[in-house]
Amino acid sequence: MTDTLYYQPKSVDEALQIKAELGAEGTFLAGGTDVVVGIRKGKLKVARTIDLSQVPGLDGIRRHDGFLEIGAMTTHKALEQHDVPAALAQSCETVGGPQIRYLGTVGGQIGTASPAGDVSVALIALKADVELRSAARGTRRLPLDEVFVGPGKTVIADDEMVTRVFVPLGRRSDFYKIGKRDAVAISLVMAAASVGPAGDVAIAIGCVAPVPLRIKRAEALLDARGLSDEAVDEAATIAREDCSPISDHRGGADYRRAMAGTLTKRLLSRLREVTPVKAKPAESSAEVA
Amino acid sequence: MTNASGVEEQTLTLPSEQEVEKLRAAEATWSLSFTLNGESVELMVDPTETLYDTLRERLRLIGTKGACLEGECGSCTVLLDGKPVTACLVTSPQVQGRTVVTVEGLAKDDRLHPVQESFIACGAVQCGYCTPGLIVSAAALLAHNSTPSVEEVREALEGNLCRCTGYTKIIDAVLEAAGDEPAVMSVGGEK
Amino acid sequence: MSSGPPIRRRPTGPVRPGQQPQVNVIGRSIRRFDGKGKVTGETPFGGDLAGPEAYTALVIRSPHPHCEIEDVELAAARAIPGVVAIFTGDDIGGTNRHGLIRRDQEVFSRRARFMGDCLGLIVAATPKIAQRALEAVKVSYKELPIVATMDDALAEGSYPLHETGNVLSTELIRRGDADSALAESDVVVNTETRTQCVDHAFLDREAGMAYMEDGVVTIYASGQWIHEERRLVALALGLPQERVRIIQPATGGAFGGREDISIQIYLGLAALKLDHPVRIEYTREESMIARHKRHPIRIEYTLGATREGVLTAAKVRILSDEGAYASTGPAVLRKAVSHCTGPYRVPNIHADGVAVFTNNNPTGAMRGFGACQLAIAYESAIVELSRVLKIDVVELKRINLLDDGEGVTTDQKIPVVGVRDCMEAALRRIGWDKRSYETPAPHLRRGYGVSTICFGVGYGDGFPDASRARVRMADDGVVEVFTGGVDFGQGLHSLAAQIAAKELGVDPLAVRVVASDTHRTPESGSSSATRQTVFTGNAVRLAASEVAGQLLDVAAAYTGLHWDDLELRGNAIAAKHDIAGHEDRTVVLPLRQAVRLGRERGYALDVESCFKPRTVAKQKGTGKSPRAFITYMFASHVAEVLVDIETGEVKVARIVAAHDVGKAINPQQVEGQIEGGVVQGLGMALMEEVVSEGGFMKNASFTDYIIPTIVDTPTIEALVIERDDPEGPYGARGVGEPGLIGTPPAILGAIADAIGTQVHETPANAERVWKAIKRSERAGDGASA
Repeated sequence: MTDTLYYQPKSVDEALQIKAELGAEGTFLAGGTDVVVGIRKGKLKVARTIDLSQVPGLDGIRRHDGFLEIGAMTTHKALEQHDVPAALAQSCETVGGPQIRYLGTVGGQIGTASPAGDVSVALIALKADVELRSAARGTRRLPLDEVFVGPGKTVIADDEMVTRVFVPLGRRSDFYKIGKRDAVAISLVMAAASVGPAGDVAIAIGCVAPVPLRIKRAEALLDARGLSDEAVDEAATIAREDCSPISDHRGGADYRRAMAGTLTKRLLSRLREVTPVKAKPAESSAEVA
Repeated sequence: MTNASGVEEQTLTLPSEQEVEKLRAAEATWSLSFTLNGESVELMVDPTETLYDTLRERLRLIGTKGACLEGECGSCTVLLDGKPVTACLVTSPQVQGRTVVTVEGLAKDDRLHPVQESFIACGAVQCGYCTPGLIVSAAALLAHNSTPSVEEVREALEGNLCRCTGYTKIIDAVLEAAGDEPAVMSVGGEK
Repeated sequence: MSSGPPIRRRPTGPVRPGQQPQVNVIGRSIRRFDGKGKVTGETPFGGDLAGPEAYTALVIRSPHPHCEIEDVELAAARAIPGVVAIFTGDDIGGTNRHGLIRRDQEVFSRRARFMGDCLGLIVAATPKIAQRALEAVKVSYKELPIVATMDDALAEGSYPLHETGNVLSTELIRRGDADSALAESDVVVNTETRTQCVDHAFLDREAGMAYMEDGVVTIYASGQWIHEERRLVALALGLPQERVRIIQPATGGAFGGREDISIQIYLGLAALKLDHPVRIEYTREESMIARHKRHPIRIEYTLGATREGVLTAAKVRILSDEGAYASTGPAVLRKAVSHCTGPYRVPNIHADGVAVFTNNNPTGAMRGFGACQLAIAYESAIVELSRVLKIDVVELKRINLLDDGEGVTTDQKIPVVGVRDCMEAALRRIGWDKRSYETPAPHLRRGYGVSTICFGVGYGDGFPDASRARVRMADDGVVEVFTGGVDFGQGLHSLAAQIAAKELGVDPLAVRVVASDTHRTPESGSSSATRQTVFTGNAVRLAASEVAGQLLDVAAAYTGLHWDDLELRGNAIAAKHDIAGHEDRTVVLPLRQAVRLGRERGYALDVESCFKPRTVAKQKGTGKSPRAFITYMFASHVAEVLVDIETGEVKVARIVAAHDVGKAINPQQVEGQIEGGVVQGLGMALMEEVVSEGGFMKNASFTDYIIPTIVDTPTIEALVIERDDPEGPYGARGVGEPGLIGTPPAILGAIADAIGTQVHETPANAERVWKAIKRSERAGDGASA
């Protein structure tokens, strides 16, 4: 092992080669919105940084074979400005301020594996897959909700990199976030839901478990019974039951649990109606009038 | 700097200039080149330092401020290839070969950028610490959108905290500057 | 209402140089002269002054909120190449103490009472080396019992944090017979309000530099009262005053957060010992952990009234968390108690305040100190009374607000009480009578709240509060103003220039302001308590008018005209009106020439003056004072909110803030102060909260301590009401604090209006609002989802 702390590969293959050598000690640097803070605060002191900024071909969005294919280095801003599913666009818009969204990437969001990852929650609710690649084994593809195992922990192997995300097209979706303020806020609770062309439902909730939580028990119920008032209420109850929130300085477990139900109901009710309405309360009556 | 007689005594012999210079040089191991405010820059940096540190410590451009150094306040906003980013979240090696514009690069030939003028005129400056970051964000907005709505101004500036003004006069100032000629609004550096 | 005092309209457009008339500079939005350097980024703040050539200092802080330090192991840190020195209490020559009211905090401590206590100071060649050294320091310590809350502090057998025990101070007000009056009242309401710990969150972290110059420790650092800081540095280091010089660089906000000493003593010690430039810059986390905060206060409020809504009595119990050290705590407690009934006519008052020590951050000055917490409490009681009496809250206020000449809590009679004017103007602007409760969705509720508040200006209560200013004509004919008062963004220095310009008939932007340097400028007291407009404003006016008088004397002697026929105008001395030989008000003498002539005739044209109005200490046993403060300010805010009753989220749609400022010397800056105060008030009302558990702060960063962004900020309409104040320069009263004080009660009142129940704990974040709704649903009243 060399003393080098910082690597700047010029290709994906080179990046994967370095990562394979460094293993767990190597951290990919994508947008930097988490990793650079970690470096500054000394949290990543022993880790070695693999800067992907000079690696071409990792970003970009295209439609192919019924999926939206998103390169791992695609920024939140690029997604926000592109025609992407509603929940994905809304989740990207709520990440940080513009300066963060121009930097932060979808691959970085997945790699960070925060239970408060807004975009991860939206992608899970959209039934997205993720492509991982290593020098030794090539690529593999798995559902995103199988990637996260704990705060900051994933099934991504020490020699692997997130290369692409696949979002199935044709799902109607919605997203709602409760933060401590209306911009640049880490979520207190947030949720996303989608309905597929066949009427199948997916729901994911953030900040109520160690990982972005998919509420599969509620999905099964709704798939069987449709979005009736009663079914939606039951789904909300299941969401409350199936989450395991903690209390921290942002908020209490009771509130988070209650909101898991409230947001589930709110999102499903909206999806039942028409296109999603604007999530936040409108402006002053004076301005409306 | 250890001393022979034990831990409680300390000698106050200052290191020589050369020693300090050597210590500093040992930290700067990475060769970096990029375009800064229209000019090519080449220098040695510590690869784990951020663009914020490089601009301020090595290039002594003090207009880029830093209230939090974790991407929350926007005081260190600069344009990277024409897009507003927080310099505290960008490692310096990441800007290799790219174009950076700081607040110092906005005034042209001693003529203030229209947003700089309007910030003064509208009373949008109080303590002034957030001001450079806000001006860079506002200039980036106006370079693409010469007639923003109030909501568009809010969205463009949501990543810039201000603790003094209550934002009202900042919105006034951006709207006041809006509508100037696109050429005047050009901030450069876009790919 | 069609009459009432004039409301200043927003300026129709910016005033540009060249358009500024040279007369009537008072009441005009003159550009601030520090604007250009700030928009270009050229202006250096504390952290911009020194580059890598200076050594970097880092503070070793306590690892625990309450402990005896047994040993600080420094050998490993000292062994790191590039570590220049590590200082501890053994290295300091003076008292090793600081503290604004009591000198109760050690610079280098052997017993830590909160996480910010300092154990030592590392100085190294680069920031990175300093950081490595800090990580190499090992501290061994004995934990002491943690006094985490006010209840812990007051508990039987609680661990004493200071020799005097855990009670810092007490305050009271006794007027009339509150107990009897409450017993006889038709209606009595009880509320308990809990306000939170708030951080100033100024953006410019504590940063500065120091070096030795001709044996003088020269410190560039941002405070709020440089002369007091010099006293504290000199005492702590054991130096005579004249060997300490403090210069304030541009300062990125303060809001009370720079009143206590921060980096000044560390910088001074390092420069003195090393005779080499040294810099220091806190991280945001360190800034939050080390700095004092706003007092969390618990207020039990009992308010009585007649059936018709006439207030009869208030009984108030106030408990304030002082944290680890006194800071300005006793003054804040007095402010709280002396403002406990706000701008209301309450004939019988029985108030008690107790301030207790805990192992939390020291609490001290912050915008609105004491008065803003009590405003939340008395306005909450008024809302409750309105609900019980079924009298509209505005009507209730109209019945009970003070009129000119009536007495506030301390029974001080206030000649000009602008509060009714403020409220009626704010109500007109918001369209109170036609307000709509419509919302875009069924889960949203709209609500409106009105606050009416007051604030006593300056330190008051007999404190020897003074400002000095020096005005002189330089040889080049330029007016120079010297003030020790600091400007951290509020515009004091531009204001000083504007006043001097008015008196001397020159362009305000041509005035040279020399400021905030203990070696060059006279002591102007603290930039706090909303005192500088009145105090330094008056001092500058006195000095400038005396210089003006001397210039007229010079011109009179030169021209043979009577000085009373002359005036200063347009950089010249001119005839005031048509006089023989000088029809058309002609110029008789250019200013520059008058200065030269004056010098020749032995006039100094250089005057220092002092404004030191008398206030009267509180009466023992009652807390009353005929003149606790030199003057009072009044304000009224109206807030409109939308509440999501399913999630508890609150969106502030609109705020109208009307302030009686006496006279707006610079209307744009006055509006700026109000708008800024409103947004800080919004933050306090809805989101800001320092969360500590057992003395450990849980959210010491801008990621986790949340202040309002531009998106959280509604349309703010600042209304400037002008009713001349007899004490202020040109009738001005100041404006700093009330902008913040009026907002939280207006927003909380609006939330209560929307959901039918009050939130009694701040901040009223989504979770607390949601819980209030749930409580109210269970109790069977209020909003139903």
